[in-house]
Amino acid sequence: MESTVAAPVKTESPHTPTPVPGRRRKRPSTGLLSAVCTFGLLVLGCLFWHLGSALAWWSPATIPPLTEVTPALVEILGSGEFWGDAGRTGFEIAIAFVGGGAFGLLVGIGFWKAPTIGRVFEPYLVSFYAVPLVLFYPVMIVIVGINQWSVIILASIMAGIPMALNTWVGLSGLPPVYLKLARSLGCNPRQTMFEVALPAAAPFIVAGLRLAVVYALIGAVAMEFVTASAGLGFRIRYLYESFDTVEMFVYVLVVLAMSLALTFLLSVAERALLRGRAGR
Amino acid sequence: MSQPGIQISDLSVEFAGGDADPVTAVSGVSQEIDAHRFVSIVGPSGCGKSTLLNVVAGLQQPTAGSIMIDGKPVTGPDRRIGLVFQEDSTLPWKTTTDNVAFGMRILGVAKRDQQRRAQEMIDLVGLQGFEQSYPAMLSGGMRQRVALARTLAQQPSVLLMDEPFAALDQQTRILLGAEVRRIWRQTKQTVLFVTHDLSEAILMSQQVWVMSYRPGRIIDVIDVDLPDDRDASVVSTPAFNELQNRIWSTLQQEAMRGFVAESTAA
Ligand SMILES: Nc1ncnc2c1ncn2[C@@H]1O[C@H](COP(=O)(O)OP(=O)(O)OP(=O)(O)O)[C@@H](O)[C@H]1O
Ligand SMILES: [Mg+2]
Repeated sequence: MESTVAAPVKTESPHTPTPVPGRRRKRPSTGLLSAVCTFGLLVLGCLFWHLGSALAWWSPATIPPLTEVTPALVEILGSGEFWGDAGRTGFEIAIAFVGGGAFGLLVGIGFWKAPTIGRVFEPYLVSFYAVPLVLFYPVMIVIVGINQWSVIILASIMAGIPMALNTWVGLSGLPPVYLKLARSLGCNPRQTMFEVALPAAAPFIVAGLRLAVVYALIGAVAMEFVTASAGLGFRIRYLYESFDTVEMFVYVLVVLAMSLALTFLLSVAERALLRGRAGR
Repeated sequence: MSQPGIQISDLSVEFAGGDADPVTAVSGVSQEIDAHRFVSIVGPSGCGKSTLLNVVAGLQQPTAGSIMIDGKPVTGPDRRIGLVFQEDSTLPWKTTTDNVAFGMRILGVAKRDQQRRAQEMIDLVGLQGFEQSYPAMLSGGMRQRVALARTLAQQPSVLLMDEPFAALDQQTRILLGAEVRRIWRQTKQTVLFVTHDLSEAILMSQQVWVMSYRPGRIIDVIDVDLPDDRDASVVSTPAFNELQNRIWSTLQQEAMRGFVAESTAA
């Protein structure tokens, strides 16, 4: 279970040094530093790539040279086919993330509200997680037909499970005193949920969101790779099968860039959502 | 002169205990606290202090007996009652101001009053300058001040505190205890304060109740006739010592009894 639940690090000490309020904006400099580092790494990577190709450390059939990939990238980014594929994959990821995430959140809340059900189903959820879901593709085709919904459904399940587990773990780990406080104030169930329980579990829920977005992407691209007839994953397989290494590399790079961008967006959202908490 | 503050009548609480024997945590407690008075409860660990306080707070139903606050019965969570918990109950996603206003928000106090009253309470507990800080940036003692301010901002007529300083270090305890006393002399709520620290109980309160090991009864009631504006220096006076000895002699037997019962049960 540890592997499926990213526990947020909690640093707690009763004697946190108390800074003078209003003198605590150190973020921009670390943000800038990491941006500079990322850029530096990118340049280094490209340099290494170029050098490796130029000095023939690997054959161009394995990794095509940067000089060929760059113009191909420019050309592909200008083509309608690319945007069709990217749009389809992006749509699948978005639906899987939002749908799977929301469903996972509800399941997590349900498990918390009904602990018996939670205890009964949790092992199944965890083991379901370990099943290569692509195996269910034939079943999906029978149910929804050959279209992108089979990809979306499977990616949603992949995104939903870590979300459900994280939400559940976060809610079950609530300090009892928060619920006692809510009760003593006479909170109604809605207030208890939205004013106390969910915000208190937010570090876990946000960690779940991060996993959900990653799994939505992995799920969508992998499923396309194996099964679909359009989308970035499909295109990569297609180009690979027609030995078009250069173009295939372009698409691989695009998927990499996409996952980096999504991770970055989520970390920005995380910082906003968890403002003020220990270690942030 | 005296109005009723908290009236506890013939109160008993029993826990079913599943397959184990039922536990009688509180048994036949009848006590009264006049309005605006400060009473502490001391007793051995596990004797039922928290249970008694929870029942007075309306968070738990008694098996028998009843509670009246200001002459009216308590039937459930009640806005006349303010609670301060032992654990850190500040909400980590809220600033000091928002934490202090939280109780008022739930109770539906008007927005404008919330801001004004929150600021008053922040000043009262001495947290000026930390309005926009999050709990993660505050020390344990400061967070407990935030929790106290939140409770006071609800303007309860009764304040119930269950070992509010137990998680703090000795110096912070003494300082915060003096603060609570200063604030109480200003706001004059009826206070029921649970502690297992004898000198804290004597230092803070006008009356100390000693509770027995299970079943929890009030076996001794001691009036503390030390000056009202006492400070920590009274601990070295003979009067203080006398009180401490009297409470300790009662408590010691109970603590012993509890210790024996607990170790034979294990
Ligand atoms: N929900 C419960 N179910 C069963 N037994 C309980 C429950 N809550 C408390 N008890 C039992 O009732 C007794 C009194 O508990 P309580 O928490 O009131 O003691 P306490 O005086 O506050 O102890 P401490 O000083 O350790 O805080 C204990 O023996 C405890 O085991
Ligand atoms: Mg207790």
